[in-house]
This record gives sequence, structure tokens and C-alpha cells, in this order.
Amino acid sequence: MNLSLLAGAILNGLVTGMLYALMGIGLSLILGLLNIPNFAHGVLYALGAYVMVSGTKAFGFVGGALAALVAVAVLGAVIETLGVRRLSRVHPDYTLLLTFGLSLILTESIILVWGPVGITSQPPALLAGSVDLGVTLYPKYRLVVMVVTAVLVLASYLFVTRTRYGAIIRAGIEDKDMAAALGINIRRVFTVTFAAGAGLAALGGALMTPVRGLLPTMGLDILPFAFVVVVLGGLGSLPGAILAGLLVGVVQSLMTAIWPPGADASVFVLMTLGIIARPQGLLGQR
Amino acid sequence: MRRVALIRFVLLVAAIVVLPFCVRPVVASEICIFAIAAMALNLIFGYTGMLSFGQATFFGLAAYTAGLMMIHWHAPLLAVLAAGTLVGGVAAALIGYVCIQRVGTYFIMLTFGFNQMLYFIAYKWTAVTGGDDGLPGIPRPPFAVGPLSISLDSSLRYYGFVAVSFLLAFYAMKRIVDSPLGVIFRAIRENPGRAAAVGYDVKRYKWLAFTIAGAFTGGAGVLYSMMFGIVPLESISWIISGDIVFMVLIGGIGNLYGPLLGAAAFKWLSEAISVVWERWPLILGVALVLVVLFLRGGLVEAFTRVRDIVAGGGPRPEPDEPVSVPDAAESQARP
Amino acid sequence: MSADTILRTDGLTCDFGALRAVNHVSLDVKGGTLHSVIGPNGSGKTTLFNLICGEVRPSAGRVYFEGREVTGRAPHDLPHLGLARCFQRTNVFPKLSVYENVWAAVFARRTPGVLGCVRRAGEFSDVDADARRVLADVGLAARSEARAETLSHGQQRALEVAVALASSPRLLLLDEPTQGLAPEATVQMTKLVQSLVGRYTILLIEHKMRIVMSISDRISVMAFGEVIAEGTPDEVRDNRDVQRAYLGARR
Repeated sequence: MNLSLLAGAILNGLVTGMLYALMGIGLSLILGLLNIPNFAHGVLYALGAYVMVSGTKAFGFVGGALAALVAVAVLGAVIETLGVRRLSRVHPDYTLLLTFGLSLILTESIILVWGPVGITSQPPALLAGSVDLGVTLYPKYRLVVMVVTAVLVLASYLFVTRTRYGAIIRAGIEDKDMAAALGINIRRVFTVTFAAGAGLAALGGALMTPVRGLLPTMGLDILPFAFVVVVLGGLGSLPGAILAGLLVGVVQSLMTAIWPPGADASVFVLMTLGIIARPQGLLGQR
Repeated sequence: MRRVALIRFVLLVAAIVVLPFCVRPVVASEICIFAIAAMALNLIFGYTGMLSFGQATFFGLAAYTAGLMMIHWHAPLLAVLAAGTLVGGVAAALIGYVCIQRVGTYFIMLTFGFNQMLYFIAYKWTAVTGGDDGLPGIPRPPFAVGPLSISLDSSLRYYGFVAVSFLLAFYAMKRIVDSPLGVIFRAIRENPGRAAAVGYDVKRYKWLAFTIAGAFTGGAGVLYSMMFGIVPLESISWIISGDIVFMVLIGGIGNLYGPLLGAAAFKWLSEAISVVWERWPLILGVALVLVVLFLRGGLVEAFTRVRDIVAGGGPRPEPDEPVSVPDAAESQARP
Repeated sequence: MSADTILRTDGLTCDFGALRAVNHVSLDVKGGTLHSVIGPNGSGKTTLFNLICGEVRPSAGRVYFEGREVTGRAPHDLPHLGLARCFQRTNVFPKLSVYENVWAAVFARRTPGVLGCVRRAGEFSDVDADARRVLADVGLAARSEARAETLSHGQQRALEVAVALASSPRLLLLDEPTQGLAPEATVQMTKLVQSLVGRYTILLIEHKMRIVMSISDRISVMAFGEVIAEGTPDEVRDNRDVQRAYLGARR
């Protein structure tokens, strides 16, 4: 493989990896705090992409992205309040099934609204074209997406580790009863976290539309990878999710360049090896 | 108690006999095939307390194995069935060994992850599996034992074979849950820590349950491969895994008959609705959400509730003696 | 009564991070006796049990049962060696019947492997007989078909003891069997424990001093993870360290 191809593959891996990290952070927080594997996370990402496409037509590129973020975050809050909350006292398996059902409903709704065929979308004119990075030519838009998602990932991380609200979230992950006893309205923290996780996934989906295109099943397709990121990184560990996201993205992308049939499977081999070597995840404590 | 069990079994056999005259024989076969898979998941979810979201792994692997054996070697029916069951069991033993190292959410995600891994392999390895187009051209060998040979070409005859296989599988499963294993599995579901403290190697029994379930699911996969003469890629996808979970859930977990009802209701509904409207998963999703929110015990619980209302109130738990507070002197003794 | 040591711990130590929960505890439990461990909350009694039963790995020290080392053995091995425990919080199988709770524990000692499982559970008449005997022993025979979760708190505690007895242990570890019980239920539980004395060697954690003083052969007193005194009930009662560390708090 020549250097230009290798550089391109690694850059592609980082773009996807940042997206995985962004989804992994939301999923990881929801899992840590509410103790549910959110099977609807993928479809929320897909919904973000579709809202983006319609939103761009109405409000322009940035407006479309914001519309995706807000709409899906609100939907997340509704799902948490009306669905997940009702199941907080029963076995977590049921919450999983609830989110699985929602995932089916939303995927089908996307087909009903936007049709079953794939859609492509273009980056804004300002960001079209490529830049010469010396080793390779690389699309401008992808570089911008990489930077924007990196900033989002970093901002989420700092929010959770450095702010007061973040401290409450972390306290909730450690011990819900204790956090509730301290007078924190833990239910509201749950709702906000679920909504924020949904919003981040949607924003990720929105930004990726010109890169990956749109397909009604895109949410179901990406979900397993987001799960791998969380499991590999360690439950509730944000640095773990970021590291695992990048790792998965780059491995997948490199395998695509070397031997395409093995690209997706390699990710799951990576996860299995990771679980056997470090059952608590790369950076997980538990 | 034995009499009740016998009556239930007779009713089950009667239902199996009547089934192909109530729905199309193909649908009846599908119901029996998925009832086996649902029964298997019930063993690990309902009895042992582990929710596997990757049963299609074993279903699909066995279906592909059977398909390839019949296409390339013209392997006979019973050999294929045995091989698929074995493949399901061995795959479940290997994958299960890794999965049972973790519990709860991690376990679910691991089963799901392995399922996806094999799905992607089947999807990309087109030379062997046909990829997205599925594996077509699978013959349906006759049922042959010694000189006896019965053709299974008509869908009603094939249903007969599937139904007998189902009843055998049901009997085997009943023997398993009636054996000490049944008590041990339920004890592990109820309280794994205590099960270890009384002397059971919890991981070993979980592994056993997972492996047994994999073998049953494999058998179901083989029967599925001969249904339409094709193994579709879907048979190893998480959609099938989710379907199986859903059948067990709507039927009601933890008893032998619930999953059978669930499989029947699921397949019958999907057949009835998808003819009218192709967005069947939407209705499935709505049903799933409603069941989870309002009727977690599934059809069996719905039935029990109705029966209790008709009979004027069911059995109630004993009133508990009031929760006592340690007496004053004792609480002082604790700093 | 035999005077042989059945359980010995040798410098048993357990650190949770910077906290030393159990510090160099050396116990010597003689066969056929009732040996109590008392001490204020947080003095490391339950952790000591967890160390003996393999639930928690010791940072240092060893455990010997009937002369062989069992340190760090998996919890599921210990019933097979002859050691069974009750938990401080009621810890049974809630949705199994009372009978099945005990049956499962009896069966655990009977089968070496998985092959014994081809028969129906009801066909093991020796297991059935043992389970019924144990239920009669603790006074739950009349409730055997009830689901464990429907029992009263006192009955659940009795079932807890029954599940431990079911593995016919040579050493029984009881962690506060009377905890959270109403006065009448406490009396019943005390009677039950007393009825076991002599038939089983018992290591007991208990808070209620009257009970401990009246039924124990020997008492070890723990404070801050260490054994600060050991002896007969009278010796312990007269020990100044004990009065200061523990009994003093009451008087």
C-alpha cells in the first residue's frame, strides 16, 4: 500500500472514529447513569441525519444541523420521561426491549416520511473540494467534520469532568441512591443526560450526511459499532469511549484498505480480544 | 400435577394437528420452527436469567451449514439435522464461554456483538454464503430411515416433519426443565451469589444452559433452511435475534408454554399484517413498546389476569409480619 | 464433643484500598462448639466471613478447614468441603418454593457433575427425604410449597438457615441470624440456633449480647478489624478492653 492511500485510510478512520466516540460518549453516559443499553441510539443518529437533510433546505447548513440537534434531543427527553422512567423499577432488560421497539418504530417512520431509498447530500459550497496535505489530497469537508466532532467530544468530556452539573452526573453513575439522598433531582439528571446523548448522536448523524449518505437502516447499521466502542472502552468511562472510538474507526478503515471483506468483522474480533484481555474495558474500572 | 401436565401435552398435540388447517402449512411450519428457537431462548432467559440478543448466530450458522451440506454433498435429512444441531451447540459453547464471563448489560452486548460479527462475515463472504442474495438452491431431501423413504415435497408433508421434530424438541426441553438442571437454572436466575454459596459453579451451569439453547436453536435453523430452499442473509441477522426475544416476551417467560404461544402469535400476526401492509415492523415496534410498558408478563399473564377477574380474584401473597425495628438496647450497641 | 480444631485462620488480613477491614485475625474454632464473633458495626466481622468463604480474597493470611488449606477457594467449592454459610441479609431464591430452595442446596452436595441430571428432579428420593427433614428441623414443613418471597421475614431467616443446613455442613457460619427480627421471632430464631448446638460446629456473628452470652462456648471480640479479646463468655465479660471497646458503649 502506498503512503498516500495509507494516510487517507488513517484520516478516514479518524473521521469515523470521532463519530464513534461521539456516539459512544452518549451511550456510555446513558448506560452508566440509567443502566440501559440504548438500542434506540442508532436510530436517533439516523433521525438526526434525515432532519438535517430536510432542515438544510429550510434553514441552511448550520440551521439544519441545529434543527437535528434540538429535535432529536427533545425526542430523547420525551422517550426518557414517558418510557424509560416508567420502567425504572423493573428489570433493565425491559428497558432494553422498549428501546428496541422504539428503534423499530422510528426506522419504519423514517421509511414512511423520507422513503425507503438511499439519499445523498452535498457539503456546503464553502467546504467543497480537497486540500493538499502533502502526503495525500483530502476532502476539506471531512477535515472540518473531524475537527468539529473532536471539539464536541472534548467539550462533552470537559463538561462531565469539570462542571458542577457534570459532577452530579458522575455522582449519579457512582451511586444513584446517594445522589438522590444529597437532594439532587436525579430524575431530571436522567432526562437531561438521555436528551443530551440523543442530541449528540443526532448531530453526529447530521454532520456525516455528506460523508456517508443516508439510508433508513443507517441507525441499525452503526449501532453495533457504538456498542463495541462502549464495551471496549469500559462502561461509563468517557476517555475509554474516546480511545475505543478512534481505535475502532482506524482499525475498520485500515482493514477496508487492506481486505474489505474483513473490515467489519475485524472490529468485533477487536472487541472479543479486548474483552478477554481486559474484561472491564480498556479504561474501565468496573 | 402429573395429570395436568398430561392434559396440557394432549392439548399441545391437538393444536399442532389443527394448526396447518388454520393457517397456511408454510406459516404453520414457521411457527413450529420459531417455537423451538423461542423455547431455547426461554431456557437461558426465562429459566437461567440471561437475555441473549444473539440467538440468530446459532440459527443462521446451522442454517448455512445445513444448506451447504445439502447443496455440495447432497447430505441426507437426518444427518443434516444432527450436524446443524451440533454446529449450533458447539458455536454456543465457544461464544457462550466468552459471553458468560460477564453479566447483565455486558452479556447482552457480547451476544449481540458476536451475532453482528458473524452476520458481517456472512454478508461479505459471498463466495460461500451468497452474501446479501442469500444461499439459494437448497434441496429438500426425503425422510429416510433404512428402506423407508418419505418425500417431503409438499408443504403439508414438510409441516408433518417439522411438527414431529418440534414435539420431540419440546419433550426434550420439558425433561431438561423437569430435571435437577431446571431447579439449578432457576436458582441461578433468582440469586447467582446464593447458588454459588450452596455449591453450584454458576458459570459452568450458565455455560451449559447457553450451549443447550444453542443446539436447539441450531436444529431450528436447519428446519428453516429447507423451508423455502434458500438461506436468506436475514437468518443470521439481529432482526431474527430480536424476533426470538420478542416471541418469548409476548408469550411470557419462565414457563414452557409461553414462548410457544408467543411464537404462534408473532408469526401469525406478521403473516396476517404483512399481507395487508408492508410496514409490519412498525406495528411490531408499537406492540413491543405496549407490551413492555403495560403487560410485562406476556400472553400467559394476560390470560391469568383475565382468569383471575373471571374467577373473582386470584391467589394473594400472605400478609407479611410487620417489619420490625431492632430493639432500643441493640440499636444503642451499634455506634 | 471433640476438641479438635475444625477451622483455623492464620493472620487473615484484608485491605480495601487504604482501609484495612480485617487485620491479622487468627481464629481457632474447635469441633462441636459454638464460637461467636462479636464487635461493633464495621469491626470487620462480615468481611471475616467473606474471607473464610472465598467471597473476598484475603490480602494476606490463610484459612485452614479440617487441616487443609482453603484460602481463596471459590465460594462454590466450600459446601463440597463441608462448610456452609448464612448471610446477614436474607439471601434465598425468592421465586422458588421453600421446598425447592432447600432441595437445590441438598442436591448441590449430591451430584459430582452434570450427568446426574437426566432423571427428573422428583425421582431423587434421597434428596427429597433430606430436604423434608431439614424443613421439619427449622419448622417450615407446613410452608414447603409456598414461594420463598411470600414468607414472613422471620420465616425467611429460618429458610436461610435451612438452606445452609441442607448441605449437611460440618461447620456452619451464621451471620446475624436474628438481625431485623421482631422480639418473638428473635426468640424463635435463638431456639433454632440452640437446637443446632452440638449437632453442628457453629461460627456465629451476633449483636444481641444476651443471646451470645447465653449460648456461646467461646467468644472472639473484634474491633477495628482486629481480635481484641477471646475466651469463654465469662472471661470476655470481665475483660476491660472489651468493656471499653464494645460493652462500654451500652452501659
